Amino acid sequence: MSPEVIIDGLFAGSVYALVALALAIVFQPTRIMNFAQGEALILGAAVSYQIVALEKMSWALALVVTIVVAALMGVLMERMIMLPVRMSGSRYAWIIATLAAALIFQSLFNLGFFDVDALRPDPVVAGGFEIAGVSVEWQELLAIIVALAVMAGYDLFLRRSVYGRAIRATAHSSDTSVLMGIPVQRIVVLSFVIAAVITAVAGLLAAPVIFIAPAVGLTFTIKGFTAAVIGGVGSPRGALAGGMIVGLLDTVVRSVVGGTVGNFAVFAALAVILIVFPSGLFGKPMEAH
Amino acid sequence: MATADPAPPERAGSLFDTELYHRIRTVAMGVLVVVAVAVLLMWPSITDYYSYNASYYNGIVASAAISAILTISLNLSMGYGGMLSMMHSGLQLAGGYATAYVVVKASGSWLLGVAASAAVGVLLAVLVLLVSLRATYLYFGMITLAANLIVIESGREWESVTGGIVGLSGVAPKLGDEPMSKQAFYYVVLAFLALAYVVQRNIVRSGVGRAAMAVRESSDTASAMGISPARAKLLLFGVCGGIAGVSGALYALQLGFINPDVGLLDNGIIFFVGLFLGGISTLIGPVIGVALIAVLVELIKDQARYTTLVLGVLLLVAMMVIPRGIVGTWRASRAGRDRVSDAGDDTLPDEVPDVVPEVRDAAPEVPAIEGVGLVKHFGGVHAVDGVDIRIMPGTVHGIIGPNGSGKSTLVSCLTRYHRLDSGKVMIFGEEAPAAPHRVAAAGVTRVFQVPHLFERVSVLDNVLTGMRMRESYTWLGATLRSSAYRRQDRAERAEARELLAFAGLASRADWPASSLSHGQKRLLEVVRAVATRPKVLILDEPATGLTSTELDALGRLCRVLRERGLAVVLIEHDVDFVMGLCDEITVVESGKVIERGDPERVQSSPAVLEAYLGRPELIEETA
Repeated sequence: MSPEVIIDGLFAGSVYALVALALAIVFQPTRIMNFAQGEALILGAAVSYQIVALEKMSWALALVVTIVVAALMGVLMERMIMLPVRMSGSRYAWIIATLAAALIFQSLFNLGFFDVDALRPDPVVAGGFEIAGVSVEWQELLAIIVALAVMAGYDLFLRRSVYGRAIRATAHSSDTSVLMGIPVQRIVVLSFVIAAVITAVAGLLAAPVIFIAPAVGLTFTIKGFTAAVIGGVGSPRGALAGGMIVGLLDTVVRSVVGGTVGNFAVFAALAVILIVFPSGLFGKPMEAH
Repeated sequence: MATADPAPPERAGSLFDTELYHRIRTVAMGVLVVVAVAVLLMWPSITDYYSYNASYYNGIVASAAISAILTISLNLSMGYGGMLSMMHSGLQLAGGYATAYVVVKASGSWLLGVAASAAVGVLLAVLVLLVSLRATYLYFGMITLAANLIVIESGREWESVTGGIVGLSGVAPKLGDEPMSKQAFYYVVLAFLALAYVVQRNIVRSGVGRAAMAVRESSDTASAMGISPARAKLLLFGVCGGIAGVSGALYALQLGFINPDVGLLDNGIIFFVGLFLGGISTLIGPVIGVALIAVLVELIKDQARYTTLVLGVLLLVAMMVIPRGIVGTWRASRAGRDRVSDAGDDTLPDEVPDVVPEVRDAAPEVPAIEGVGLVKHFGGVHAVDGVDIRIMPGTVHGIIGPNGSGKSTLVSCLTRYHRLDSGKVMIFGEEAPAAPHRVAAAGVTRVFQVPHLFERVSVLDNVLTGMRMRESYTWLGATLRSSAYRRQDRAERAEARELLAFAGLASRADWPASSLSHGQKRLLEVVRAVATRPKVLILDEPATGLTSTELDALGRLCRVLRERGLAVVLIEHDVDFVMGLCDEITVVESGKVIERGDPERVQSSPAVLEAYLGRPELIEETA
């Protein structure tokens, strides 16, 4: 095992951490664990692949287009998921609706990129540097920095802004929040949009390095969920810690044992954690579920 | 009764409520079923006659039947057991591997393969459930999803058994030494579908199914009926795993191959769509749903790459338009709902029926239930702080105290819903077991403060659920409808109706529990608790919101139970009710007992007056 594996793990971890954060953002006001979240990651990868690799245009454009398209996807997802959930009233509605949304997006990506194995554009910043004998790719460093910045930014947003307080209130009780005059519906839409944009940016950063096929969105959702469970659903810091643990575990096991055993290790870790700590490592119990 | 009944189903006047309509409907349904079964049985001859491509059309129906088997399993676990399984496509894959391995690699008989598949399915399901027993249902969904991926990954990696990414092919059923014809295998598939349906129906209608549904609604309530939530779940999910495994076996045998892609959720979505379209928690819903999807998929087969997309959209639309599915929506509609008996003016019988339990052999001077030095703290809150309580058989014992004084916590300590910080609980002189459902099995049944009825099933089924503890038949007995099962079931139903009649609910026995008034619900809960044949019955604020007639019925029931030698514990705010009924009263305040004794003593106790009114010197003026 080379030290580069650690860097790779941290890089993958920051991607998972962003997905975990996005899952938590949607979960807080809606009590819904969005199975379609990983599809936004594919969207980011697909847009950057289309613009940078196929159209040979700039990364800046890819970023702007990704953010706009992801915001639209967030709005669409909110409709696709929340409408059936409200109208059906079944206890499983949310899981079926998010799963259906995931499969719809997945099949759209499959249709659009049916001849593509991996959505892999050129890196934003090519090359790398060497520090203390460890070579680091700029792209990896960039992803880690962006992840940290997004986490810190969202943490600040949650604690300091009026909207952040409203989101936290809604997370506690959406019924009471409505009575307090908080526009819960707008906050729900906003959460879906923010979550989709964050995940899409993660996809955009990950695409040049990680293998992202059009159909693997669900795998990223589950790894993000694992990270969220380990870190405790709700806190950006927890998401970061959880993401790093999952990323390191995945990458290290993959490099030591090889192949798909990495997935194995992550899912096994999830199972073990849920057995020993039914409400996550740092988390509070999720009552409503 | 004097209470305002929630509108009982429409009065006469509507065409749909006439007897004639219902008779015609029953006949029409019967004809429809006969026609459907006949078409399925004659399908190979029909296609042979009308089409040059008979085997293709036979294959479509067989594949749909195999999907229906899996959807039935999914319905059992999600619809009836409340266990959201995302690993059903994985169970099918594992079942397929088992058969393929037995047939191709070990060159065994295909029947052996089917048996192996069932075993593998059961094993996998039980393993996953054991891992996730403590998980809430969101996490259960996630764990099953992870398990699904693990099954697929194992299939890809474990080449010596599963054939890796390519999978195994050449899986064909044999009849003797000859390969079985597709046409013959079609009937095999149909037979298994019928079997799966019958297993589902018989389990759901038996105590095994009622126990699982009780756990689905509330595992606390189920425990109070003496049902072990873990056991009920394990049993049901194990059966689901077995059925799913068999469907995997049939899949491999029908198509002749199995590969890891079978386990992918894209393939699994068809089962979810079928379940939700047809109607979750209905017996025939899964079959109808899958049949519709099979027709749909056949219609768009030229655009096969859009199938997942179409199914996904269909699923979302179905959830919005017919949330209960086709069957559920039909059942709830005016044209499709069952007739229920009119609410008769139930007069309370004077005779106490024999089915009301009796405690005879209790040793004298041994308390029925006793708490010694009970302590329960929540953080800094001393909810129960050193309480001693003795409740004798053949008495009605009241526990009163101001709001927040720790009455309900005390009950939860006695019935072991809370882990005690210190102290011990004795039931008839023996140490109480630690799990709530074992306490119930030891003869202590509680009724919760907030109504905990199983609202979606009938009044009668609620009472029957209370009898689960003494049912001796196994799930296999229920499935095969053994003579022991049928005898017990008949006896239970008769007994439940007698109990309901005694409580004045006889004419409502077949109503859904959700249609009862608040007072009737409370009464039904007590009846359900009595149906467990308790020696100690603990009622947590049963009188709240009851009308005076209902209060009388409740008081009468308590007195009858006392005469029968039971210990009845009443936690109450209604002082008149308590004083008129109880032999002994314990007054709790801030987690401590401040007074105990007969009603007169408690009423005149200065400590009690102070706890309730704060300032004893004002009593004179108000009195």
